[in-house]
Amino acid sequence: MAAPELDSDVLIVGSGASGAAAAWSLSRRGLRVTCLEQGRWVDPSDYAHSRPDYELARQTSFAKDPNVRSWAEDYPINNSGTPIHPLMVNAVGGSTVHWSGHFPRMRPSDFRVKTLDGVADDWPFTYWDLEPYYDLNDSMVGVSGLAGDPGNPPRSPRQTPPLAFDAGCEAYLRGLEKLGWHWWPCDNALISEPFGENRSPCNCCGPCDIGCPIGAMSSAHVTYWPKALAQGVQLITHARVEQITVDRAGRATGALYYDDQGVRRSHTAGVVVMAANGVGTPRLLLNSTSARFPNGLANNSGVVGAYLMFHPVAFVSGVFEEVVNGQRGPIGGLMNCQEFYETDLARGFVRGFELQLSRSVGPLSVANGGILGHPVPWGSEHHEALRSRYAHTMTTSVMLEDLPEPENRVTLDPELTDAHGIPAPRVEYRAGENTQRMLEFSIARARELFEAAGAVEILVDPLVQESGWHLMGTCRMGDDPERSVINGWGQAHECPNLFVIDGSTFTTSAAVNPTSTIQAVALRCADWLGRNYRAVAA
Amino acid sequence: MTAHILTPEELALLTLVQNELVPAYGDLPAAGTLGATLTVDAYLAEQPRLRRPLLTALRAIEVRSGKTPFAELDAGRRVEVLRQVENADPESFSELVKQTYNAYYTRPDVQASLGIDGPPQPMGFRLPAFDESRLARVRAMEKLWRDA
Repeated sequence: MAAPELDSDVLIVGSGASGAAAAWSLSRRGLRVTCLEQGRWVDPSDYAHSRPDYELARQTSFAKDPNVRSWAEDYPINNSGTPIHPLMVNAVGGSTVHWSGHFPRMRPSDFRVKTLDGVADDWPFTYWDLEPYYDLNDSMVGVSGLAGDPGNPPRSPRQTPPLAFDAGCEAYLRGLEKLGWHWWPCDNALISEPFGENRSPCNCCGPCDIGCPIGAMSSAHVTYWPKALAQGVQLITHARVEQITVDRAGRATGALYYDDQGVRRSHTAGVVVMAANGVGTPRLLLNSTSARFPNGLANNSGVVGAYLMFHPVAFVSGVFEEVVNGQRGPIGGLMNCQEFYETDLARGFVRGFELQLSRSVGPLSVANGGILGHPVPWGSEHHEALRSRYAHTMTTSVMLEDLPEPENRVTLDPELTDAHGIPAPRVEYRAGENTQRMLEFSIARARELFEAAGAVEILVDPLVQESGWHLMGTCRMGDDPERSVINGWGQAHECPNLFVIDGSTFTTSAAVNPTSTIQAVALRCADWLGRNYRAVAA
Repeated sequence: MTAHILTPEELALLTLVQNELVPAYGDLPAAGTLGATLTVDAYLAEQPRLRRPLLTALRAIEVRSGKTPFAELDAGRRVEVLRQVENADPESFSELVKQTYNAYYTRPDVQASLGIDGPPQPMGFRLPAFDESRLARVRAMEKLWRDA
């Protein structure tokens, strides 16, 4: 008897940065690809940028924290055990729907931390193995920036020039030149000139973090998805996956999910690819128990959900006498300082950090503390205080490398569930000693920069609660099945037709925003899977 | 705009409180007088989670005012009462302040007083192009990355 026909060759769970890239790559090879996405397409009319109350969207419809935003398609997260709250967007395009668009690459040393610095683990491949996929990804999404940075290996010309350079940049530059520190205009997933179809270049409106209504931001729903759909990928929205199914031999067979009517459905595929982010992917694997995998799919090692890494972030803001108009221009896309990126043990810690020299926000967010974490006082001093900060402030994000520790992890909450009764994730995290020492040192350097730049007031939020954008390490890559979930191609050690391609895969975190690396890794894994599909699915 | 959640007495109290939180400035009336009260009332209708902290704060202000209603206190005593409530229940009070700021700074007339002539889109802003000559010193730096 012939085997029943599968619904798809490849089933991808999640349509964000990695799922979109993989869907495009795999469908190029003629594979039948389906993607299940619990969210929806964000409607252009959802964006608030043309309304005077646009800043309210940060607290409501476009809040970063799903527990605050509470879209019907969000799932709750028990974050009572972590000082950093996980942030994400559940929609087509995932968390690239509203983000800052920082698009740096990791450095070669980031892939060899064990060999170079004696901590954590090396990745199962090098920067140079990944470089072609960084280039491919950049060419697909469109990046603004400038090649030639002495802080990083040489790279191909950027698709569009660096973004604007204004009064806030001049303020930063005063400090950087006085101190003699490294800086370079950021690579941003944000086009400064025409690139791609149905996209407009950035017009410097400011609040990228509540989405981009003109398609300048290189979000997955405007870059990869139109191409993937044109290649025949089936994207099913409002499809909330409950579990990955397996056969008696322990091979993945597909997924069970709830459709937009709440009907529980099955979808079968030769290969399952997890792309649901560093919290969502371990959540679903842990919920996929069976006789073969009583602790969750591909988790006989107990590593699924462990080694969670964020990038602990401090915000340091400088208030200047002159007008710097930090609310104008892309909120994140300005300059990077990587003076302190590589290990120098004289500083009292291993590994390093970068200073993301960023802009600021509008008056409402300034009044509420917003990016600063320090609300403007009420009462008789209010107006003068507001006017001293609004349009006079620039904010630097201090972004640290977070070392992987097994105690920091995602588990299933015993009580909390989503609207479909699926267990919600519980996140437990504490910053390690190395991180805490680095945090202290790095905040002091950001203060030093603002002092050198002539800031008249410096405000510090030493560990930003709402900074858990970067969800990494919870299904980590490695060669040792006892210390990792997947190999260097994203293939699960314990389940050879199950792949993981999102931020969960990161062996270590580096100290830069992860999305360009997430997408490069996804493309590399998808490329290998596409070439080896028959053997993997057999 | 009509009231949804707050009683006339609560609306009157909130107006006075908001006038202390964000006083008049130049030609702009204080927040409550300007209309922030009804906007906050609309927020309470849309977002039930806000009701408890804001109603708690308003009740606490009434209690701290003692036998003399808040409306009849002089300006210095009103501020004193608000500070006491803020110290006793910072969580509820900060939500009251936050929603007042939300209502006030989303008004076009308030934004205009800050030099803002409209929302970010569709116009955006025209900013100077990046000047590569500014990178001369950094370009001359030795490579900062380790190969591996």
